[in-house]
Amino acid sequence: MSTTSLLVIAILILATLGYFLASKRAISTAGGDRRKLHSLPVYYGSNAAMFTAIPALGVLLIWLLAQPMLVERNILSTIPDKLIPEGSSIGLVMSDVRRVADGLEVVVNTGTLSQNETLKLDTEQTDIRALLAGVGAAVGSDVQPEVLEAAQNYRAQTKMGQLWMVLIIVPLALIGFALSVLAAKPTFRARNTVERGILALLVLAASLAILTTIGIVFSMLFESINFFKLHPWTDFFFGGSWAPNFRGDSDLSILPLLWGTIYISIIALIVAVPVGLFAAIYLSEYASPRVRAFAKPLLEILAGIPTIVYGLFALLTVGPALVRVFGRGEEGLLGLEWMSGATAVLTAGLVMGIMLIPFVSSLSDDIINAVPQSLRDGSLGLGATPSETIRQVVLPAALPGIVGAVLLAASRAIGETMIVVLGAGAIAKFSANPLEAMTTITTRIVSQLTGDTDFASPETLVAFALGLTLFVLTLGLNVIALYIVRKYREQYD
Amino acid sequence: MNDKNIMESHMGTTAIKISARDVQVYYGDNHAIKDVSIDIEDKTVTAFIGPSGCGKSTFLRCLNRMNDTIDICKVTGSIRIDDEDIYDRRVDPVQLRAKVGMVFQKPNPFPKSIYDNVAYGPRIHGLAQNKADLDEIVERALRRGAIWNEVKDRLQSPGTGLSGGQQQRLCIARAVATEPEVLLMDEPCSALDPIATAQVEELIDELRQSFSVVIVTHSMQQAARVSQKTAFFHLGNMVEYGETGQIFTTPQDPRTESYITGRIG
Ligand SMILES: Nc1ncnc2c1ncn2[C@@H]1O[C@H](COP(=O)(O)OP(=O)(O)O)[C@@H](O)[C@H]1O
Ligand SMILES: [Mg+2]
Repeated sequence: MSTTSLLVIAILILATLGYFLASKRAISTAGGDRRKLHSLPVYYGSNAAMFTAIPALGVLLIWLLAQPMLVERNILSTIPDKLIPEGSSIGLVMSDVRRVADGLEVVVNTGTLSQNETLKLDTEQTDIRALLAGVGAAVGSDVQPEVLEAAQNYRAQTKMGQLWMVLIIVPLALIGFALSVLAAKPTFRARNTVERGILALLVLAASLAILTTIGIVFSMLFESINFFKLHPWTDFFFGGSWAPNFRGDSDLSILPLLWGTIYISIIALIVAVPVGLFAAIYLSEYASPRVRAFAKPLLEILAGIPTIVYGLFALLTVGPALVRVFGRGEEGLLGLEWMSGATAVLTAGLVMGIMLIPFVSSLSDDIINAVPQSLRDGSLGLGATPSETIRQVVLPAALPGIVGAVLLAASRAIGETMIVVLGAGAIAKFSANPLEAMTTITTRIVSQLTGDTDFASPETLVAFALGLTLFVLTLGLNVIALYIVRKYREQYD
Repeated sequence: MNDKNIMESHMGTTAIKISARDVQVYYGDNHAIKDVSIDIEDKTVTAFIGPSGCGKSTFLRCLNRMNDTIDICKVTGSIRIDDEDIYDRRVDPVQLRAKVGMVFQKPNPFPKSIYDNVAYGPRIHGLAQNKADLDEIVERALRRGAIWNEVKDRLQSPGTGLSGGQQQRLCIARAVATEPEVLLMDEPCSALDPIATAQVEELIDELRQSFSVVIVTHSMQQAARVSQKTAFFHLGNMVEYGETGQIFTTPQDPRTESYITGRIG
């Protein structure tokens, strides 16, 4: 078992012990009379468990995150430049070092060699590559002496770090344990301390989501910066073609992908907005309560279908159906030769539109319902028909909210992946023909990152720049949409 | 059948505009209006008073079939306006509502310009031949709504930007613009301050020249000030109906008396 898990178990046992000891001690210091205690015994117990476990586990967590980074930085500075082959990067060498170090660890654990023997290994005498392969650790090429030395260093520093970790964390847990058990006296306000602990837990949970988002943005940002170091930003933003080439010298412009994305999204919105809006109008203004009670949940279930299912629908049903109409020459329904394959902008757009219908209708329904009944009564009371009322009073009043809903739908369409992966095709180009295959930002991100990837080449890193652009785009749309929706809500409060 | 007698004793002098007989209204199982019969005169202000929840609004909404918009609401009995049964299958409720205008408790101007608010009804019913015609209709309605002088310089600004009292007069002007024959008002002053209330009351008195006005009100003082006839509702029944002065000075029914003297409601 690893040092870390042993440490965690020890801390937890100590915390449990602290719980019982502290609650016992609280009762005994109160002379067995629980009414003399400031708090219930459980609070003294929880307080002790909290002070034993949380600081120790917190430091452990930070240590586990920080140590590999620090060790790696130390090792990196010792690797000589000549070790880096032409066209490769220090990152690749470092991953070799890590693999060798991990492999040697396995060698020791499986008992092939003793700890001392591994320390004496030499590239001249032993075929390290074969040795590691013997325990299932694959190294790309023959291990050079410098790499072996770095790996040995890596192991030594890691060991050292773990030793220090134990030496710091165990006393920390013990101090927390001792202090909190000793503090378990009737006058100590254990209940208040526990309350504060719970508050801290809740705050932590709340910040986690936000911190993760910030973390995601930063990791994308750093990778994007790496990308722009390797590839001119002018080509990315203003170039005219997308032609990744894993031997280097690729054209990596976002524009053709952005065009595909926007084109497909527009088709999707052309389908989803009218249908979704009309469905919402029917449901909120005309449908009887019984129909409404039945149809609204049904529409919302549609929103829960995984998009991959829609993707299959695009690939297997809608695409071939469109080909039957617009393609196949004489055999086709219209005798046209316009469409050759099932994957096309129209296929993906239609299916994405269908996916968005429940989204648009459910949002619009809420917004239309927020229009006060008094406006409808006013209009009906003047002798307007229900549809005149909707067109001339309800919809204009709900318009800002509906625009917000459409923007939210647009941002979903732009970020949608599975439907376009399966339905849109893989060809990046500027074309106005909806029956041609085209590709989008999301599909290219998927394809650049799947398969054998090397996180040092611009062809891979471009995925992060694409992702970041997409993120900024959808974030912007969402912000505008939410602003409009909220502003509209205020109007009737 | 005390109320029938009173009712009959006041008939005859003026033309009857609305005549309701044995009207029952149900909201699902809730019997909200029980056996109400009433004759409402033309060119008269008729007030409906009574404790809240007694069915005043419900009965008022029967008169222009606004209750049709509530799914669970069922109306039986007969209501005739100008001797035509408005619940007859041949009557289009939409047309009826153009003839029987309504002003609501809370001012509800549409989120449109003042001009478009007033022009809404005339446009829908095609009352104007051209733009000049429409301008004239809007101006006349706003004058009759006693709000023309306050808004004539900002007809294009939104109706929702007016004060509460102005909004209510705008809504009255909007209702008047469709040239209705009857004007129903459901507590039109309950959201207004005393000054705005006084303005609207004055306006109601003027509107009597051209329409039959039916007003629901909480306030007995208001009923006494603006109406010629008063009907007292209690628990879904119309208890008493007669000359306003007589209802307030010598009520026949003990329930009316207790309400007027403040013992119920
Ligand atoms: N839309 C409705 N749905 C169901 N019941 C209603 C509705 N409107 C009114 N009622 C019921 O009808 C009765 C009379 O209400 P209402 O006519 O509003 O009284 P008032 O205007 O005299 O205060 C009340 O019991 C009320 O609960
Ligand atoms: Mg009412």
